[in-house]
Formats: sequence, structure tokens, C-alpha cells
Amino acid sequence: MHTKKIKKYIKKIREILFFNSLNNFLTILLIFTIFLLSLQSFSWFIFNSKWSVVTTNIPLFAFGTFPESQRWRPITWIISLLLISVLSIIPPKWKWLRKNLLIAWIGMIPLGIFLLYGGLGLQSVMSRNFGGLTLTILLTICSSIFALPIGIGLAFCRQSSLFVVKKLSSIYIDSMRAVPLIAVLFFGQLLIPLFLPLGLEIDRVWRAIFAFTLFVSAYIAEDIRGGLQAIPNTQIESAKSLGLNQLQIIRFILIPQSLQIALPALTNQAIGLFQNTSLMSILGLVELLGIGRSILANPKFIGQYIEVYIWLASVYWIICTILALMAKYLEKRLKIA
Amino acid sequence: MKGDKIIFFQIIIILLLICLFGFLINNLIINLIRTDLGFNFSWLLKPASFALAEHALPYSPSDSYAWALLIGWLNSLKVIFVSLFLSTILGIIIGLSRTGNNVLLKIISSFYITIIRQTPLLLQLMFWYFVGFLGLKNNFINFTNLLKINNQGIEFLGLSLTSEFSALIIGLSVFTSAFIAEVIRGGIISVPKGQWESFRSLGLSERNGLIRVIIPQALPAIIPGLTSQYLNLAKNSTLAIAIGYSDIYAINDTIINQTGRAIECFIILLLTFLILNLLITNLMETINKFINKKNFLY
Repeated sequence: MHTKKIKKYIKKIREILFFNSLNNFLTILLIFTIFLLSLQSFSWFIFNSKWSVVTTNIPLFAFGTFPESQRWRPITWIISLLLISVLSIIPPKWKWLRKNLLIAWIGMIPLGIFLLYGGLGLQSVMSRNFGGLTLTILLTICSSIFALPIGIGLAFCRQSSLFVVKKLSSIYIDSMRAVPLIAVLFFGQLLIPLFLPLGLEIDRVWRAIFAFTLFVSAYIAEDIRGGLQAIPNTQIESAKSLGLNQLQIIRFILIPQSLQIALPALTNQAIGLFQNTSLMSILGLVELLGIGRSILANPKFIGQYIEVYIWLASVYWIICTILALMAKYLEKRLKIA
Repeated sequence: MKGDKIIFFQIIIILLLICLFGFLINNLIINLIRTDLGFNFSWLLKPASFALAEHALPYSPSDSYAWALLIGWLNSLKVIFVSLFLSTILGIIIGLSRTGNNVLLKIISSFYITIIRQTPLLLQLMFWYFVGFLGLKNNFINFTNLLKINNQGIEFLGLSLTSEFSALIIGLSVFTSAFIAEVIRGGIISVPKGQWESFRSLGLSERNGLIRVIIPQALPAIIPGLTSQYLNLAKNSTLAIAIGYSDIYAINDTIINQTGRAIECFIILLLTFLILNLLITNLMETINKFINKKNFLY
């Protein structure tokens, strides 16, 4: 009985790994390389790595130079963000909550501003003290909440029957998609102050959010347009025959369906946005990667690139993977519903 | 809406936009006058007075800004086309091993794709530069003048590449290859299963069937995805500034720091990317036409 099982396993392994001479060679080569690599990295991990550069700086990575006594504020904000994303993915039983999720999402921005900047009874904190993961999340959340409606609007404008509207929005979308993100961010940081009237100044963080919104909305518009084009014409005809007017068709038929179709693409945009906030470290904001860079510039931790980069990569990887998994789950649920 | 109403509505939109732009440009002019900069391109002919480590054409600090910008553009083109080539090869290998039968290869390639896709490119570039090259010893690999890899870069058959260039090429190619692999996998999956079964039943070998039956049918689905990945690659190459490679964006940045001519440099940057985009889109369209004209692989 036992030998039979072992024979079966061996047969299976032969089928999936050693089924012709080329694959025999490849498999053996790969196993050998993996063995060597894991041996080396294991010995580095045990004997040579010094993780104190990460462990002593965890608060910096999480909050930047946010005042120590006030750290509960970003924590509260991030926890409420987590809560609301869980609520949107696993639908609550209470209908009123389900209906007001959208409002709750939009409310996250003023809540974040209040908690991070302070005021109204809280000690006020300057935006130059924002940093680390908190700033990364602030940039991502605000830009994506602003960019989604703008992107939807642009997508509809591009399909509009009005010539001027159609042309203008296509010019905007196409030119934004032709430009590298860093140029747009550069525009946000250095050129926006030139276009504002004397005396009016916008905070650096908000200039970055503005630039990200400009950039991402063009990409979202194209994704939504793809969704709109995938909706069969019969949907619109049947909605018309039910007596819905143009606005109702857009609100109840086109937007929900195009969002559902575009969901995978939109998830990729969100993940991309989250990763691309790291570009702000070149332009002088100390978000997650920026903190890593400034820690590496500290003579105390000189040369410990590998530890810091592995740590940062795993933080980014974990958050992006969670985002992707949540989106996959949501997709599945929407398909059933 | 009636015809008159539509025209009226559009005119109002145009007027509003003109007002907005007028307001912004008015502010711009006031600010430029206030900072005593003005708006002109005559500075382009002045000597740049900064050195460039990497130049495809002869360059010295006494050359003009315009020449420095051209050098930067050539540097960008060099990076883009070399990594375009490398990432395609790497992407095809990974995409095929992801769709192949060898389970170990499948696991490794999907591991590779998730790690590369879920971490920021900037972090990867810094990793390749600071750990991958600057972390190397003086004589990491040295095969009697044939191939030398050390912290100065790569030297191969007399062709020497700086460490910045090599790190940028490797980082961009590895990052883009993960996306190209997904495009290739999508293309191969889009070919119906019946095609695989029918070429097998016709007695074609696995490799012959892949080359002659599956790939020609997958190409129409692959080319558009590939084009957008190439455009992304071109745009991503501007991250070179993070590791000190003097591409077009980095040189514009240096010039802005020296002269303060942000608006002019920004316009130059936009025009450069317009040209680059047109170049890549036209190239890919030619390839697409070539493929669609006749199935050349049969």
C-alpha cells in the first residue's frame, strides 16, 4: 500500500517536473540555484544582518516626525480607514450603513485632515512633520477619492455628443497619459506656486495630492471608458423604454456597471498610485521611501541598504497584496450579486 | 437639447476655460516679472558649465544648454531602447514559463511577478544601484578582460557601461519584464484550448505548435498590451534621476536649479515626451501592420 502511494507520487513528480530532457535539465539547474541562493541568504540573515536599523526606527517609518504625544491621531485615522474598507468589502447587515458607505468614504478626508493637522481643540501639527507610512496613506487615499469622480466625469465627457466637451477631455486625457508622472509631480511642487495669485499658498502635501489627482484621473477615465464600451446598447434602450431620463440612466445603469467591469483595472490603478507615492521622495516629501532614504543618510546606519530596502519592500508588498486580494474578493462578490 | 442650446452651452464652456487660463497666465506673468525672470529661450545658447559623466556625443561644460539637453535626450533614448529589448526577451521567457508545464518554473515565475509588481520601481532602482552595484567589491567578476563586473560598472569586450547605466537598465528591464510576462500570458490564454488540442492531434511537436499555431494567434492580443508597456517604460525611465544617471529629466532638473527657468524647461520636457511617445507608437503600429498584413510566422 505504502509503496504504491510513493510510486504514485514519483509518477506525479515526473509528470510535472521531469517530462523531457530539456525540463530535466532545467529543473535540476533551478533546484541547485535555489538551494545555493537560500543557503547564502540564510547565512546572511543569521550572521551578517543587523536589523536594529529597522527596529529602532519603526516610529519614524510609521509616522515620520509626528509629535510623539500625538501619535494616536494617525493611528485612529488608519484604523478607521481599515474598518471602513472591511465594511465595504464584507457588507454589513444594516441597510442604512450600506447606503451611507459612500458618504463615510468621502468623510474620511475631512476626518484625516482634522486628525493630522489638528485644530478645533487638538494641538496643531505642521505638514512638514508628516511622514512615513502615514503620509503615504494620506497621499494615496486623498488622491484616489478625488480622482475617481473626476475620472468618471472625464470618461463621460469623452463619450459626449458635444464636440467641444469631447475634444477637450480627449486632449486632457491623452496628454496626461503621455507625460511621465514625475513631470506632473514636478509641476505640482515647483510650478503651481507660479500660477497662483500673490499671497495664496498651498501646502506641499496638497500640491502633491493635486498633481496625483490630475495624473490618475486621466488613467481612471480610460479604464471607465473601457467599462462603458463593454455595456451592451440594449441596456440603455431598455432603460429608455422604462422611462428613465438621461441622468437616471447614467446614475443607475451606466456608472454601476462600468465600475464593476473596470474594477480590476481600477485596483491596478490604486496599487500603482500607492507605489508611485514613493516618487515624492525625490521631490522632497519624506513618505515611506523618503524616510528610508533619510535614515540611510544618517552616519549611524551607513551602508545598511539591504536591511532597509528589504523592510520597505516587504511593507509595500504586503499592503499591495492585501489591496489586490480585497479587490479580488469584491469582484467575486459582485459577480454573484 | 436643441441645436441652438447645444452651441450656446459649448461656447460658454470655451469662455469659462479661456477665463481660467487667462487668470492663471496672468498670475504667471505677474510672478515672472516679480522674480525678474521673464520668459524666453535665449539662455539655451549659453554655456552649461556642468559636467556630464555619460555622453554619447562629445560634450564639455563649455557647450551650450541646448547641446546638454540633446545629450540628455540621447542618454534617455539609449536607456529606453536597450531596456525595451532586454525586458521583451526577459518578459517572453517568464511569460512562457508561467504558461508552461514545468511546475517549478511556474512557481518561480509567479513568485518573480508578484514581487516585482507589488514593490515600487523607485525602490527597485535604488536597490540595484546601491546594493547591486555600489555594494560590489572592486573585482567582483573578472574574466581576463572579457567581462568585468565591479562597483564601477560592467565592462564587456571593451564596451564599458557605468554602474548608473547598468543599474538603470537592469532595474527597468526587470520591472517591465514582469508586466510584459503578464501581457504574454494573457495573449496565450486568449487562444482557445481547442487550438492546442488540434495541433497536438496533427502530430506537431509542442515547440513547433507553440511557434506556428499559438503565438501567431496570440500576437494580436499581445501587441496593444506590449505597446502600453513600452510607453510606460519610456515614462518610467525618468526615474533615472534617483540614481544619478543624467537622462533628459535629470538634465532639465539641473538646468532649473542653475537658471531657475522652470516654465521653459517644463515645456521642453513635455515636447520631448510628445516626440518619444509618437516615436514608440508609430514603431509599434508599423509592427502591428506588419503582423496583420500576412501571418508571417506560418
